[in-house]
Amino acid sequence: MLVKRFLNATALTCFLLSASASFAQTVGPSGEAATPSSAITLSDADLASLKDKGYKAALLWHTSSDFVNAVSAGAKDEFARAGVKVVVTTDAGFDAARQRSDIETALAAKPDVVLALPLDPVTSAEAFKQAIADHTKLVFLSNVPAGYKQGSDYAAIVTDDLFQMGKQAADALAKSIGGKGKVGWIFHDATYYVTNQRDNAFKSTIEKDYPDIKIVAQKGISDPSRAEELASAMLLQNPDLDGIYVTWAEPADGVLAALRAAGNTKTKIVTLDLAEPVGLDMAKGGNVTALVADKAYELGRTMAATGLKSLLNQATPPFIVAPALTVTKETIASGWKESLNRDAPQSILDAVK
Amino acid sequence: MSKTNPSLVPSGRSLSLLGKANLQQYVVYLGFLAIFLFFAIVLRDSGFLTVRNLSNIVLQTAPVTIMAIGLVFVLSAGEIDLSIGSIVAVSALAGAVAMNGYGITAGIAAGLCAGLLIGLVNGVLVAYVRLPSFLVTLATMGLFAGVARSLTDLRSIPVTNSAFTGFFGSGTLLGIPSLVWWTVGAICIGHIVYRHTRFGAHVLATGDNNRAASVSGISVPRIRLTVLMMSGVLASLAGLLYAGRLQAAKYTLGETDLMTVIAAVIVGGTLLNGGKGSIIGALVGSLMMGMLNNGLILMGLSVSDQMIVRGLIILAAVAVSLREKSR
Repeated sequence: MLVKRFLNATALTCFLLSASASFAQTVGPSGEAATPSSAITLSDADLASLKDKGYKAALLWHTSSDFVNAVSAGAKDEFARAGVKVVVTTDAGFDAARQRSDIETALAAKPDVVLALPLDPVTSAEAFKQAIADHTKLVFLSNVPAGYKQGSDYAAIVTDDLFQMGKQAADALAKSIGGKGKVGWIFHDATYYVTNQRDNAFKSTIEKDYPDIKIVAQKGISDPSRAEELASAMLLQNPDLDGIYVTWAEPADGVLAALRAAGNTKTKIVTLDLAEPVGLDMAKGGNVTALVADKAYELGRTMAATGLKSLLNQATPPFIVAPALTVTKETIASGWKESLNRDAPQSILDAVK
Repeated sequence: MSKTNPSLVPSGRSLSLLGKANLQQYVVYLGFLAIFLFFAIVLRDSGFLTVRNLSNIVLQTAPVTIMAIGLVFVLSAGEIDLSIGSIVAVSALAGAVAMNGYGITAGIAAGLCAGLLIGLVNGVLVAYVRLPSFLVTLATMGLFAGVARSLTDLRSIPVTNSAFTGFFGSGTLLGIPSLVWWTVGAICIGHIVYRHTRFGAHVLATGDNNRAASVSGISVPRIRLTVLMMSGVLASLAGLLYAGRLQAAKYTLGETDLMTVIAAVIVGGTLLNGGKGSIIGALVGSLMMGMLNNGLILMGLSVSDQMIVRGLIILAAVAVSLREKSR
């Protein structure tokens, strides 16, 4: 049932992930090779020709989070360098109907560039059509509406290396438990491209690369606030778990709480994205062994630069990828800076001193 | 909380007090006007006043308005329906699946029947098993949210039938979007039933004092059953409108609408504990919510600031509105 569910989820997406021996390459909707985000830069001449033109931009996000804040910061800084004003910022709260409303509302402000994360290929296909009709330059984050063509409909897809994030999480957990043992897999039980890809990459990496590690428990989660009870049940049925993968940092807080309540200091946790509670636990040598993050600020910068290149009628690569980053206790300070372009919280810096 | 009908204000009160009370009856309309004027001035160069943007507000709020009509009846009868968001998702998905398999008629029937049946379940449990509507609909909200998720294994279902999408969300008639026709039609029928029929009077009487209503010959259980079924059908209509507008159905549709609908209805002058309400007020409340979202986005506020300002304005509107009712 679960396998079927995930196959269905994957079928909805337009991206293809290669299944080669290394299975480390993320490729675009039509098999395009990934261009590294570092290759997307604006020259001084580009910046000069963008300034004082009165260009406007809109940021239409799927939710609000630390990750989104960092992406926004990267985009705003890049837009500011070109004198482009961000006139609208929205949060669809994972609601497809609200995302459509947000797009319509934002278009009233006549933005020249829109950076957005389409919630789902099917529901967003109709939603972005008006933006195309208005000749707005579209740059998508991590997902693309079904049937859209790069060049005529949108400038580019910019994404974190989702497969690498899941794979690096598997590698980090495997390393922390010595390459053998029993692990639990807590995945996002919803059709959401980003988490689905990362979760499945973790699972397939464990299954293919680590024959001595068995996934003995798996549970889906849709409401992060229920993570503690879910993890408690998992630990009750499998008290000898060596490690647990948690789909992202917020539910990992609940898993951590369940381990603490059970007095369990042995089971390792690996999760995705940076957040202070799990970061602090890792810094103090607790259950959390690694956090795998994307370079969120770099994603935002790249999206803005791609949109601006499109405004200048320059060719843009169809599929751009920002690298993944494994953050451990030893690299937490530098990793935080690299991912979010700001210092780690003081509590974490104090803990690793 | 006492419910004061302005017509029953003691004759000894001063004329100025009467004038003030009447003015406060229209607080939702004045509030709407004030917010509109504020955005019209502040956002005069940001596209707020364009026909396209104002039309967007009406189109975006159509499903909420339709749900709000049902909730006015439910609240006026002294009950509540927390399951409307889940009904939206189940109905949209049931309609989309049936339509893709058996055509447009089956799709519409499946969508509306889903809402009718869930409303029937809610109504029977509240009216005849005598369980509190808050708890019943809280339970069915979770129950049918789960049903919506499992119905299509979390998949989004594309809606490609152009007749359906035209009729329910994306088309126009005489140059006017179909969503506007749905809104106007539902408001007119809702208002007439609420204000000018015996059923509407019985709903209000039931919410005002159900024992007195029962003694005077009104079948209180039948009223409760009917309003919850109406709410179910109207929520399912909202689900079909979402499916037509997005040309797709997903289990998350309607998930975040409950609080918006409740706010629209309360701001629009309907009492939470029954006996008084307004269909036109609910329409204005719904448009006010849509206009707030629209204007705050166009002002360029950060998402957090939008939430704070929206919360403060709703709080102010509800405070003024409830203050009037408690006089």
